[in-house]
Amino acid sequence: MSEAAIPSSVKIQPPPAELERQPLVLNKRGLGWLSDKVAGVAEGKAPGWWWMAFIPSVLMLGIGFVCVTYLISTGVGVWGLNHPVAWAWDITNFVFWIGIGHAGTLISAILFLLRQRWRTSINRAAEAMTIFAVMCAGLFPLIHVGRAWLGWWLLPIPNSNGPIWPQFRSPLEWDVFAVSTYFTVSLLFWYMGLIPDLAVMRDRAKTTIRKFLYGLFALGWTGSNRHWSNYEKAYLLLAGLSTPLVLSVHSIVSFDFAVAQLPGWHTTIFPPYFVAGAVFSGFGMVLTLLIPVRSLCNLEEVITVRHVELMCKVTLATGSIVGYAYSMEFFIAYYGGNPYELDAFIYRATGPYWWAYWTMITCNVVLPQLFWFKKVRTNMLLVFILSITVNIGMWFERFVIIATTLAREFMPSNWGYFIPTWVDIFTFVGTFGLFLTLFLLFMRYLPMIAVSEVKGVTPQADPHHPMGGGKLGGHH
Amino acid sequence: MKTIPPPCPEPEAGPKYWRSMDQLADTPEFRQWLEREFPQGASELADPVTRRHFVKIMSASFLLAGVGLTGCRRPEEKILPFAKMPDNYVHGVSQFYATAMPTRNSAIPLVVQSDDGRPTKIEGNPQHPDSNGGTDQFAQASILNLYDPDRAIRFTGNGSTKRREEALDFLTSLSTQARANGGQRLAFLLERSSSPSRARLQRLVSERLPQAQWFVYEPVDFDIHRQAATAAFGKSVAPYFKLDEANVIVSLDCDFIGTEENSYINCRRFARRRNPEKSAGQPMSRLYAVEGLLTLTGANADHRLRIPSSAAQGFAARLASAILAQKGGGAELQGGVTKLSAALAGQDAWIAECAKDLLSADNAGKSLVLAGHRQPLAVHTLAYAINAALGNIGTTVVLHEVPESKEGNISQLAQALNGSQIDTLVILGGNPVYNAPADLAWAQAQAKAKSVVRLGYYEDESFPANGWHLPMAHYLESWGDARTADGTVVPVQPLIEPLFGGMTELEVLSRIGGLEKTSPYDVVRETYRGLGSDGEENWKKFLHDGFLAGSAAAPASVQLNGNACAAALNAAPAPQLPSRDRLEVVFHRSHSVDDGRFNNNGWLQETADPVTKLTWDNAILISPETARELGVGEYDEERRGNKVRKGLFKNQIVELELSGRKIRGPIWLQPGLAKDTVGLALGYGREKTGRIGRLDTGQPAGFNAYKLRASTADGFAVGGKITPTSETYQLANTQEHGSMEGRPIIREATKKQYDEHPEFAKNMDLSSPAHMAHIPKDETGNPKMIYPRPVYNGTHQWGMSIDLNACVGCTACMLACQSENNVPIVGKDQVTKGREMTWLRLDRYFAGSVDDPQVAYQPMLCQHCENAPCESVCPVNATVHDEEGLNLMVYNRCVGTRYCSNNCPYKVRRFNYFDYSRRPRNALYRDPFTARTDGEWELKRWFKQPERGSIPDDEWELLKLVRNPQVSVRMRGVMEKCTFCIQRIEEAKITQKVKAGPSGDVRVPDGTIKTACQQACPAEAIVFGDVSDPNSKVSQLKKQARDYAVLGFLDTRPRLTYLARVRNPNPAMPDAYKENPGTLDEYIKDGNTSPLESHAHGTVVGPGAGHGAQPATQHKAEKGAH
Repeated sequence: MSEAAIPSSVKIQPPPAELERQPLVLNKRGLGWLSDKVAGVAEGKAPGWWWMAFIPSVLMLGIGFVCVTYLISTGVGVWGLNHPVAWAWDITNFVFWIGIGHAGTLISAILFLLRQRWRTSINRAAEAMTIFAVMCAGLFPLIHVGRAWLGWWLLPIPNSNGPIWPQFRSPLEWDVFAVSTYFTVSLLFWYMGLIPDLAVMRDRAKTTIRKFLYGLFALGWTGSNRHWSNYEKAYLLLAGLSTPLVLSVHSIVSFDFAVAQLPGWHTTIFPPYFVAGAVFSGFGMVLTLLIPVRSLCNLEEVITVRHVELMCKVTLATGSIVGYAYSMEFFIAYYGGNPYELDAFIYRATGPYWWAYWTMITCNVVLPQLFWFKKVRTNMLLVFILSITVNIGMWFERFVIIATTLAREFMPSNWGYFIPTWVDIFTFVGTFGLFLTLFLLFMRYLPMIAVSEVKGVTPQADPHHPMGGGKLGGHH
Repeated sequence: MKTIPPPCPEPEAGPKYWRSMDQLADTPEFRQWLEREFPQGASELADPVTRRHFVKIMSASFLLAGVGLTGCRRPEEKILPFAKMPDNYVHGVSQFYATAMPTRNSAIPLVVQSDDGRPTKIEGNPQHPDSNGGTDQFAQASILNLYDPDRAIRFTGNGSTKRREEALDFLTSLSTQARANGGQRLAFLLERSSSPSRARLQRLVSERLPQAQWFVYEPVDFDIHRQAATAAFGKSVAPYFKLDEANVIVSLDCDFIGTEENSYINCRRFARRRNPEKSAGQPMSRLYAVEGLLTLTGANADHRLRIPSSAAQGFAARLASAILAQKGGGAELQGGVTKLSAALAGQDAWIAECAKDLLSADNAGKSLVLAGHRQPLAVHTLAYAINAALGNIGTTVVLHEVPESKEGNISQLAQALNGSQIDTLVILGGNPVYNAPADLAWAQAQAKAKSVVRLGYYEDESFPANGWHLPMAHYLESWGDARTADGTVVPVQPLIEPLFGGMTELEVLSRIGGLEKTSPYDVVRETYRGLGSDGEENWKKFLHDGFLAGSAAAPASVQLNGNACAAALNAAPAPQLPSRDRLEVVFHRSHSVDDGRFNNNGWLQETADPVTKLTWDNAILISPETARELGVGEYDEERRGNKVRKGLFKNQIVELELSGRKIRGPIWLQPGLAKDTVGLALGYGREKTGRIGRLDTGQPAGFNAYKLRASTADGFAVGGKITPTSETYQLANTQEHGSMEGRPIIREATKKQYDEHPEFAKNMDLSSPAHMAHIPKDETGNPKMIYPRPVYNGTHQWGMSIDLNACVGCTACMLACQSENNVPIVGKDQVTKGREMTWLRLDRYFAGSVDDPQVAYQPMLCQHCENAPCESVCPVNATVHDEEGLNLMVYNRCVGTRYCSNNCPYKVRRFNYFDYSRRPRNALYRDPFTARTDGEWELKRWFKQPERGSIPDDEWELLKLVRNPQVSVRMRGVMEKCTFCIQRIEEAKITQKVKAGPSGDVRVPDGTIKTACQQACPAEAIVFGDVSDPNSKVSQLKKQARDYAVLGFLDTRPRLTYLARVRNPNPAMPDAYKENPGTLDEYIKDGNTSPLESHAHGTVVGPGAGHGAQPATQHKAEKGAH
């Protein structure tokens, strides 16, 4: 039936232009263009900027490797840890990276369940980021222990020594399960989503080795209806599985502190506060990564300003939750009547670590308020800067919670101070090296945008849409 | 615990332990004996095996088996089994021998633990009539000196190494020559000694060498007590102070708890009268301290008058005049008293009230005035005059007759040397080049002697270039004797043959004198004969018991010689008083290194000074007030400590000038010092010292205060001038924060308050929030717990009680713990990072005003919480509870997450950030991939011998010997902490089990087990025992009203609880505490209700607070009932 044949009384009028949602892919790009564009990033010669990013990243990774070798061979004392501050940068970095690892699964799972179609352009990169961040995070508990070569004793492995099991009451033990589960499920979820796109890569591959490898990992995907049907079910299931994990991982990480009894740690507000903070920092990191990537890879039409704006809004919301938590901590310290706790919070804000505390407040509570303004949200440079300050702020949040609490708690006789050494600093730098190296490799070898999913949310994919059907290269 | 008396040693010609093991091992007989397929050692070992013989066999087997390098391990049995166990040897059970550590004018009676023939732990001898088994920190640490790799290990002549025989030949020729000319131009420079043998030898040598001259020098000399007493009473007598007989004690700059001699006895006697409960029937004693520096005595005083040391004579004079005015007499002293009174203006009320207290009828003959060793003769004379007037002579001050001392002093010797009157100078011990008065220019003077023979423990500053250096034997390697403070004769008995063939003073003296018997053993045996108690059995008993019963000196009946006192006062120079431009410089004995003799002792170097909390350095101490006026240093009043920047003390370096001599050192602002007074600890800044005495940087630890000290003013001198510089120096301090911040950690009240509100300590438990009201209560009215409490149902329930009133802060417990538990030292750099490993630390808090602080000490160690916060957070179950209530640390299981330390509210867990036990301090940061030790790649060394570490061979071979084989040495990456000396507990349990046999009575009797800290504590502040036994001492103590748990509101239910501190101020005093002790004031100011307002205990108190030890027993009882 042709358009003209529909009587005007029956014809559905398109909404007025100002109410039209901004499309998720701009410029009415066709589906073929999408495949070319996204797959193109991972094909052909690596661009100059990629090498300029990759070489320093690998160097940083190398530095990290040297630091970790030195650390394990010589002793944890090469870090600045002391008595009473027995955890500082190590666990700060752990929580920092775990937090960053939150956005990926949130975007891919929770937003999927909530039918937030805008997630499709960013979920693949965010999930990759999650996996790499969790890898960086997992490194710290492993290397921070005094006898790293015995770290596997945290695993409940059947043994003949009694048997001796791990201590299941310890939050660190819960971390082992929480983080490893989270990593496993995130990895599966990510790989699951990659399969149709790996098939695209396979089909486009020009060299035998690429054909073989993409083919191997595409698991024989043909795009048949049966495949799609199974895929959608599995995807939904994994999304359902991942959703509680998003909340549980950081809740459990927060138990490391909440279950302990130090003033400043021992508080019930931690689980929601940590989860909000994690989502906050995760979105911050997604923004930090994708803003340069979209312009370097010319993906502005796929990762649009609208996407960035939406992420800014999530950041604003979670940042405000975190801000509320900060104020609530103070209120409880005052209202709870525990002098030790009150002292701990006054010390945080006014003690020798005041700069860390106020950096945290500025970066996490004050600066994100700028996201109320559309002008800010749509200014990519500003958003980029703010996304970095979010991550600085969130690193300091963990530092403030961990180091300042330990530096001053019950017994005045052993109050202390923490100063990082070069090994502390370069181990952290090294994890950025690991993270960036992996992310850059991911960009070069895998489709960094979920092509099949983005195609699914384009108007062309909707047969009822004016642009749908076969008209503009959509599905037939 | 002790074994039968050890037998006499074998003749000296016998092979020597350690050095000559090869010799022994190489005898054909021995080889043959070893090589027999079935060593029927029974025949050989069937002879009554002597300890020494056993040691030899053991050492040889170490060597031959090639396992001599295995540290604290047992000999490998498969290589040389005991075909028959030697008598008295039980595998794995330590042996104990009585001996004594000689001190300057006294000795500390000891019982020393020996494992496989090597001494490993020093304890006091509780059977000695004047000891409760306590020691001081030096005695505890002295064992480390025995195994010091830097000690003198060779004989040298004119700087080159000689054989021992050559040295002996030289001594013989010296003796022949000296005897030929009657000892002309021969001088001996000795240290002080209480040894009857040395006195006898001196007499014998003098007879043979009548022309020889004798001199004595001690850089920190306590002989002034004897000199003053002798002058005042006209007879050669030395005082002995019975602090436990005194109701009122006045210290005139006398640190009898800390740096005076026999402080361990003083601590005990003092502490006995400080406990309201213990001193039943007797009033709690009151201590007035008048001092310039802040000392432990001042820290424990009820009233402390902060005046310069040079003004103490003014105080003494005015106190004397107040006392004499009341008591009459002493008219002849008036002139001197008036003259000296000028040294102190003001303080009328203080002196009047203090005098009134002394004069009170209740205290007649029960008071005591002590003068410190730094004070001049006049002050001592005044103190004796006051004591005599108060009737204290014979009651609190007992005078013992002592032999007269006829030796000259070092100034006279220097004069003789400079006058070229001396050809041969024999220095027995001591280090005069380092510590002689600066005005004597000793190094040059010593060089004027044609030849110097020196017996020294180190090849140090006094190592003679022209002459001989003989290595000195450690007292644990020597035969000798001594007299303790009360005059009792004690043996100095070796536990090991000299590791490096060292000689003793007695041997050198007798060789130079050309005596027939030169073996120190024979000398001592001979002296013993002369003491009128001969006979083999008596001698054995003497050695076994460690003292000669009944040899204590009888009190001399003496009368104060008023005229002699008056003469002494009149002869005293007019006192000089300090001002801002003419500061008073006080030279004090260091708590850590004594006068420098323990400079190379790592345990002591790393034990924080109890007052300053500094380690590894001394500093120029000055009060914050004076510092402000001089514009040096920075003080943080809020923190109550020196300004700390990012956790580091980077203190200003200043130059201190005194009589034209200058030193430079970091300034340390110490509250409690008198205005315009500078304190300098002696014993640091050694130019030639061992590896420990030099810091990781290679610089000597601290600066040398002797460079300022003149022979005329060795206690203190007025005229110092401080010039600031722009440089800074980093100090290592173990406690940054000196204020308790109003927290009820140490709880204090005055005696009066305690009498009225005995529950005050419990009232300071943190109140539960009001909303606890709706939580269901159990039958006792306490809130019902959500989680069940752990149930401990072992036979015993271990617990501890520490009496903060008895604890004076002497640090003996810290050293005892370090020695017992193989606690490593970490070095200055690590201390600045707070990584010291002390299982037991001594917290010191200041309260009250900045300038006149009140000080409180608290030994802090693992509290063995029943609800231990460390246990639930350890992910690998490395720290767990046993059924007897001990919080155990399983080193092997620990992976080192440090979570337990974070969650420990007391912060008593210590983490091995590096391999402290197996690495030298300066190599902690070296990674094994690039580092080399002894020319070998570290990784290769590690591969060959993983347990070996990178400590150089010479150090390692000795270091491993000092370790207690009962306690495992921890590797890097594991957490460690106080175990309540579990090795002692287990040993006692096993012994009891064996003893019980079928009777099944396995309960260890109360008092059998003493933890190392408890054993060493001279003040008896620490009591360990079974809290499930209601009659045990610890249970009794925990029942006292003063008992409280630190941070009890956390419901950690610690098994270690404290008894609150009670001060005993005189309400009439002008500086009397403004009603409350300072910490209590701060507590109330912090917003807490006063614990003295009567409210019944238990109504608002949080769950379990203050009931630390009871629940386990309750549970047990309940369990039994069901």
